[in-house]
Amino acid sequence: MSLGMVYSAALHGMEVKFIRVEADLSNGLPMFHMVGYLSSEVKEAGERVRTAIRNSGLEIPVKKTVINLSPGSVRKRGASFDLPIALAILASQNLVRQEALERVLTVGELGLDGSIRDVPGVLPIVWEARKQGYRLCIVPAGNEAEAALVEGVPVLAAGSLAQLLDLLEGNKLPSGKRKTAIQKGKNAETAFVGDFQEVRGQGAVKRAAEIAVAGGHNFLMVGPPGSGKSMIARRIPTILPPLEMEEALEITKIYSVQGMLEKDTPLIRHRPFREVHHTVTKAALIGGGLIPAPGEISLAHKGVLFLDELTEFSRPVLEVLRQPLEEKRIRLTRKQGVYEFPADFMLAAAMNPCPCGYYPDAGRCTCTPASISQYLGKVSQPFLSRIDICMDTPAVEYRNLQGSAGEETSEKIRQRVCLARERQLWRYRAEPWKTNASLPAKKIPEYCALGDKEEAIMEHAFQKMGLTARTYHKVLKVARTIADLDGKDKIQSCHLSEAIGYRLPDTKYWGNLC
Amino acid sequence: MKYEYWLSCIRPLAGKKKELLRSSVGSARDVYYIEEKKLREMAFLTEKDRETIRNFQKKGDLETEYDRLLERGIRLVACHDPAYPRRLKRSAGYPYALFVKGRLPDDDRLSVAIVGARQCSAYGERQALRFAEYLAGRGVQIISGMARGIDGAAGRGAINGGGDTYAVLGSGVDVCYPAQNRGLYADITNRGGILSEQLPGTAPRKEHFPARNRIISGLADAVLVMEARERSGSLITADMALEQGRDVYALPGPVDSTLSKGCNRLIRQGAGILLGPEELLEEMVSEPALAALLPGEREGQRECEKSDKNKKVLESAENIVYSCLGLYPRDTSSLLEETGLSPAALMETLVALQIRGYIKEISKGYYIRTS
Repeated sequence: MSLGMVYSAALHGMEVKFIRVEADLSNGLPMFHMVGYLSSEVKEAGERVRTAIRNSGLEIPVKKTVINLSPGSVRKRGASFDLPIALAILASQNLVRQEALERVLTVGELGLDGSIRDVPGVLPIVWEARKQGYRLCIVPAGNEAEAALVEGVPVLAAGSLAQLLDLLEGNKLPSGKRKTAIQKGKNAETAFVGDFQEVRGQGAVKRAAEIAVAGGHNFLMVGPPGSGKSMIARRIPTILPPLEMEEALEITKIYSVQGMLEKDTPLIRHRPFREVHHTVTKAALIGGGLIPAPGEISLAHKGVLFLDELTEFSRPVLEVLRQPLEEKRIRLTRKQGVYEFPADFMLAAAMNPCPCGYYPDAGRCTCTPASISQYLGKVSQPFLSRIDICMDTPAVEYRNLQGSAGEETSEKIRQRVCLARERQLWRYRAEPWKTNASLPAKKIPEYCALGDKEEAIMEHAFQKMGLTARTYHKVLKVARTIADLDGKDKIQSCHLSEAIGYRLPDTKYWGNLC
Repeated sequence: MKYEYWLSCIRPLAGKKKELLRSSVGSARDVYYIEEKKLREMAFLTEKDRETIRNFQKKGDLETEYDRLLERGIRLVACHDPAYPRRLKRSAGYPYALFVKGRLPDDDRLSVAIVGARQCSAYGERQALRFAEYLAGRGVQIISGMARGIDGAAGRGAINGGGDTYAVLGSGVDVCYPAQNRGLYADITNRGGILSEQLPGTAPRKEHFPARNRIISGLADAVLVMEARERSGSLITADMALEQGRDVYALPGPVDSTLSKGCNRLIRQGAGILLGPEELLEEMVSEPALAALLPGEREGQRECEKSDKNKKVLESAENIVYSCLGLYPRDTSSLLEETGLSPAALMETLVALQIRGYIKEISKGYYIRTS
């Protein structure tokens, strides 16, 4: 028999498409031909594969060689088809038994010396392979730990082609048992810097941050330079609730596609915190490319996306965030199809109140009313309407900088946050969402019921403080979170009042400040 | 009249010279048709002035230009016109002619100018509103510059008080600057008048403003400075007012507020101290005239009662927070420290006070008292 068949997979965004690699060696003019809607990096595989096979001490006859990657309608990119192509050629010459490759999924890049190199996206591929009932996954040795995160499908990891052939011949196939047990969070806590204890003063802002994290609410800080906005934002990871395994795998899959995993400890065990510079492009933020790669919003999935100096971002870049903030995912449409990435993140943002930063301190602010309103106008209303909690961060007084007495540690705050999250999980156990922030408007009356006294407060606030219908819902959701932090099942008047205090200043204040 | 308009249009020629020229030949029409020889006889004109006049004589269609102004409700009042404000005529450096949209201030009624910083504090803004409202409600005409901040608040206060108010602009009378004051501009046009020495259509330029300030003080019997930084246009107005022999009053403010520095300095230099609109009126008006202006009212007592009432209704936490707040905005962090309340309790109290209208959030996280 001169036909070899190997299964592999291609990534399209987060979606895994299975590819069958066929190799046929026949009599005819010696040539090496590859077909199947290939990108140029896949076509280059031919040279690598032939050299790698030769350097592994094997020989393939000089014949007419045709390689086909099917289905022909799927564009194939990347170097992960090297290994499947090599195995298909070897199988066609019976250098590898074809039976040994039945229902086996293979990915890997080859070096000229026959070594097998890491490829991105192993985790989602192995994940899908298990679902599809493959009996074995062959992955590069460098991706072994990552592939091992998926339970229920055996993984064969090899460092070189020669080693792989030995393993396949020796029939010593690994069992489904995990060789590398799920690593215990080495990379988890070490990634964090700082603690809320180090933030002096700003008690009100810390409280607001705690509420924002507890309910997953989008959070905006407004204040003069040096008031600790960035400092507080960067410490938000220290009070985020721990990840569940399912969520951790979800995040790890995204990082796997981007090739951003650590070799030995691939599992992402902490919620990501992505700080984005204001020169970021649309494509980098939401994902992009001909075949889209995940952007920052997806890398912040289940974690926090921090936009410092919000007013400096270009407006079109901020506007593209509107949709993913609502839908918790991003859909990118390209000629070849629609690519979907998860993007369920909490937005934290910081900005100055005016170009010089000191408004409304009339003694220090040197801005004209026109320049202030122009500055604030850089952030559009529809974008602001997705912010649930807005807090000012006033300049810190000198006396607050001394001594650390009485400041709470992040761990303490985190415990409260976790309790509040548990209450939410329990309440929404029958619903598709998990946090108060993602509570849909039509379910608000059911989950945020108010008593008579609370209704009266809302009515007063609506009239006296000019609340809008939009802020109304947000106030209720934030009040729900405050009640959860307080351990109460019903929203009480104190929770509601506090929530009203965190609302975003409405258009009147925002657009026309003087 | 169109010749008057023509004469007013000659911007490079000083107002004083125009007046001399006009009085020596008889009328604006005669100036228009003046002969070269006669022009040379005028000793006070320089060669350059003559050149300017000759150039302007060739200029376009006066009739239609002037008619178009009238159609838009803009009048021209030259300084020899009996309608020209008497107070202004008596002050140094009065303009040759004023363009007016609406009415001119009544010469027989008391008029007060209220000026101050464009970027003012909530305190200054509220006092400007209060003084203007009180005075306008008692028949005093309010003159201001319709700028942002204090001036605008004064205009608004006068309209709230149901009185007459006049704005002197640094641009043409048909140019609303700043554009946000469009509503106020319309109200002032209906309830008083917009005045300017600039030609209609002139854009606001910073060199126009000091000249505009001398008209403001010239039209008023007294000038009230609400808030002024140490180097500010309001102080220029105050200086001009003193030169013109007007009374200057300044609103005292905290000594550590940059916005009140100019005012406090004026007080030190001998300006009158503004303690309240009632006192001001008493000081400016003789006893019998005052009785006519104030038909048996004394508001002081009522306000005292009100603040007593405030105290009774407020709960203890609310009382603590309320007493920490004043006329200058306070931020949440400093309140937190001073009151010793928890962040949650403070936020709750602030909202409760807001709902009941005792305090106001002027910018995100900054609060002031409302009364």
